[in-house]
Amino acid sequence: MRRLAVAVALATLILGAAEKKLVVPAGLDAYLPVPDSNPLTAGKVELGRKLFFDKRLSRDQSVSCATCHDPAIAFTDRRKTAAGVNGREGPRRVPRIANRVYGKSFFWDGRAGSLEEQVLQPIANPKEMDLDVAEAASRVGLDVPALEQALASYVRTILAGDSPYDRYLAGDAGALTARQREGLRLFRGKAGCTSCHLGPNLTDEAFHNTGVGWPADPGRYQVTKVETDRGAFKTPGLREAARTPPYMHDGSLATLEDVVEFYSKGGQGNPYLDPEIRKLDLTAAEKAALVAFLEALNGKVRDGM
Amino acid sequence: MLHLAAALALATTAVEPRVVWSDASVTLLGAPSPDGRFLSYVEPGSGALSVYDVAGGNKRALVTRPAGSNEFAYFSTVSPDSRQIAFAWFNDEGFYDLRVVSVEGGSPRVLYRNEEAGFVQPCAWTPDGASILTLFFRKDNISQIALVPARGGPMKVLRSLHWVYPKRMDLAPDGRFIVYDSFAGAASGDRTIFLLAADGSKEVKLVARPGSHLFPLWTPDGKHVVYTSDSGGTMDAWMLDIADGKPQGEPRVVRRNLGRALPLGITRDWNYYYGVRSGASDVFVTTLDSPAADARRVTLRFPERNSMPAWSPDGRRLAYLSRRGTENFGEQARVIVVREIDRQEEREVAVKLAHIERVRWSGDGRLVVSGSISKGRSGLYLVDPQSSAMRPLIEEAGGPYRGFEGVMPAGGRRIYYLRGEGELRARDLESGEEMTLARGASLSHLALSPDGKTLACVAGPDSILLTPVEGGERKRLPFAEATELDWGKVLIAGKGSELWRLDPEGGPPRLLPSPGNRERGFSQHPDGKRIALTAGKEKSEIRVLRLR
Repeated sequence: MRRLAVAVALATLILGAAEKKLVVPAGLDAYLPVPDSNPLTAGKVELGRKLFFDKRLSRDQSVSCATCHDPAIAFTDRRKTAAGVNGREGPRRVPRIANRVYGKSFFWDGRAGSLEEQVLQPIANPKEMDLDVAEAASRVGLDVPALEQALASYVRTILAGDSPYDRYLAGDAGALTARQREGLRLFRGKAGCTSCHLGPNLTDEAFHNTGVGWPADPGRYQVTKVETDRGAFKTPGLREAARTPPYMHDGSLATLEDVVEFYSKGGQGNPYLDPEIRKLDLTAAEKAALVAFLEALNGKVRDGM
Repeated sequence: MLHLAAALALATTAVEPRVVWSDASVTLLGAPSPDGRFLSYVEPGSGALSVYDVAGGNKRALVTRPAGSNEFAYFSTVSPDSRQIAFAWFNDEGFYDLRVVSVEGGSPRVLYRNEEAGFVQPCAWTPDGASILTLFFRKDNISQIALVPARGGPMKVLRSLHWVYPKRMDLAPDGRFIVYDSFAGAASGDRTIFLLAADGSKEVKLVARPGSHLFPLWTPDGKHVVYTSDSGGTMDAWMLDIADGKPQGEPRVVRRNLGRALPLGITRDWNYYYGVRSGASDVFVTTLDSPAADARRVTLRFPERNSMPAWSPDGRRLAYLSRRGTENFGEQARVIVVREIDRQEEREVAVKLAHIERVRWSGDGRLVVSGSISKGRSGLYLVDPQSSAMRPLIEEAGGPYRGFEGVMPAGGRRIYYLRGEGELRARDLESGEEMTLARGASLSHLALSPDGKTLACVAGPDSILLTPVEGGERKRLPFAEATELDWGKVLIAGKGSELWRLDPEGGPPRLLPSPGNRERGFSQHPDGKRIALTAGKEKSEIRVLRLR
């Protein structure tokens, strides 16, 4: 009798899970590009969520994915560059992972072509979790493909949207303040930010050299070996940016004001500076308006099914 | 087996298309009502949203613009009960909003108005009439497939496409699936048909074969998608069976050689309405004295696709625009061609612009091109006709929908330009300093006097504005309904197919000998005797193909 009750409970759980539907926040595409090889299921997403917080996936069991990707601050951290096991420090800022379901390449240099390809790399990276992925899978009672699929599925459900900017675009003319509207006008006009930061996730998913950190980190060059890609990094999305400093791939800019100032001055000159980066000579009022607009990109972040 | 039999029946029952409307009012921006009684369309000239009664041939304006404004209707689609029309309206702020109006008339309601998504194309209604499937083109260069509630409320984005504007999309009769055309792959210029679940749960590429596959529409039973394709060498109508959002079998031809077709919709009784452009226009050189008799075609390749000629300052070269690619409801894909007039030589200028609006010569023999780049910026670009090297002269992200028009005297230090329809400006290209020379509603068609001292532009429906380039008193020449201006040896205004010589001193305008079937675009040769012009007659008509 007890076995039957367990079976019924399990069936209810499975059926219930199957009926769950991911609610996409306002402003984002309802269509989620999910590969046929790893369809989104409530079971996999829930398993992935548990794994995301599981410190057994690191060598000394001190670090989980959530250590750097803290849900309380839009799945980022406050550090300039990522921290791994034994206090090891990575070379780059923790990337934003909200809305990566819409991504085309992953990591700052785009070295992974899918979330499935991406999610295991931090586990194996000596500067991050430093654990053989087979051992990581074994520790949590899974095989490697199951670990990979579950983590990728969960990351796909981390979505940021429903901001004042989204409500404004959806037709609510009062959702942005006058200063934010002026910031938006500058964002797509004089400041030219929409050359790279565009669409629902405010990124072109492409690689650009802005001069940040030049010449210390080769960036995209490490992947393509094309000389002109030296110092180029993937355009980050800007959702929740106002509450997730510091900025840039090396975390070198502490505030949004610093970022706007950096671009106003035309970035950092170098042989491969992107032609879209040029001196803007923004006034103080224009800079303040741009920051106000960026603050309007703070909305809601949700995860799971 | 049954499936095959049904397919064969559908493929073989299509009969000869018939023309249902063919006069000067035909525009291809509307749609048939689902009950087949009328077509929505935009009345040329007035820009009014109108309906055409298919059986009786009567026309009725539903939404007209306020007196003195430049507003106009654009794309439209009719509700499932054939009682309402959702339409795009170019509004008083210079962008398009989405409106709905009863077919009985009355005041339209604005459903969506936001400059950030300032171009809208309503394509279909949900079967319950609750929402309108709409294509948005945003100022950040993104097009979006979205549902807009017909009774107001926030729109819901289903799919964003980067710098791709589907030529057509449609919603299945049960409301579950959307079909649209987009680029077949990242590196492909060909388009193909995609199916997107209306709840966003999946997307499928429907047609994988080579060729450009466009303008998909659902049949009334929701079991087939009809689209046009050039894969057979002509623009044909094809049909693909669909079951539960998946393609079934191979697509098949239902009608060969539709011509320059623009599909408009399929009615409940399986009538496939499509517009066809026919006739042709081309660039000719002729004389001002005897334009009809002396005209000779000057284009060498791609005949009957050319327009908008402009003479170089030395009179040895002629630049013009040449249409390429498949038909478009809106702006067409164009390239710039330069013809060496004394040699049998014509070549394309490989300019990196996503859209070219018009081309002119600067005073020192370079091209001043107005258009937009794929980064969503528009402006005026200086192009070397030999090397095709290009640099922006005036450029704005998300510029005005009416774009820019500029003239650049020799020396290259200054440019005079119209921004949208509202401002005439001068910019010093060395210092970047700008000066507003004139401001007002409805400024268009800019021309510079041969001595470089005076600018002329059309100012509203009844005058030409003359503005000294160094500032000073402006002058208005009374002249009604000018559609173009060119200032060579003399100042000439186009008015429909006519050409009129204007006297900058205020004397009466004089009608020049008729060049016949002239279309938009002319340019005087520096010798003051010859003129290059676009001539021919493009015509549109609406045909119906019975699909079963």
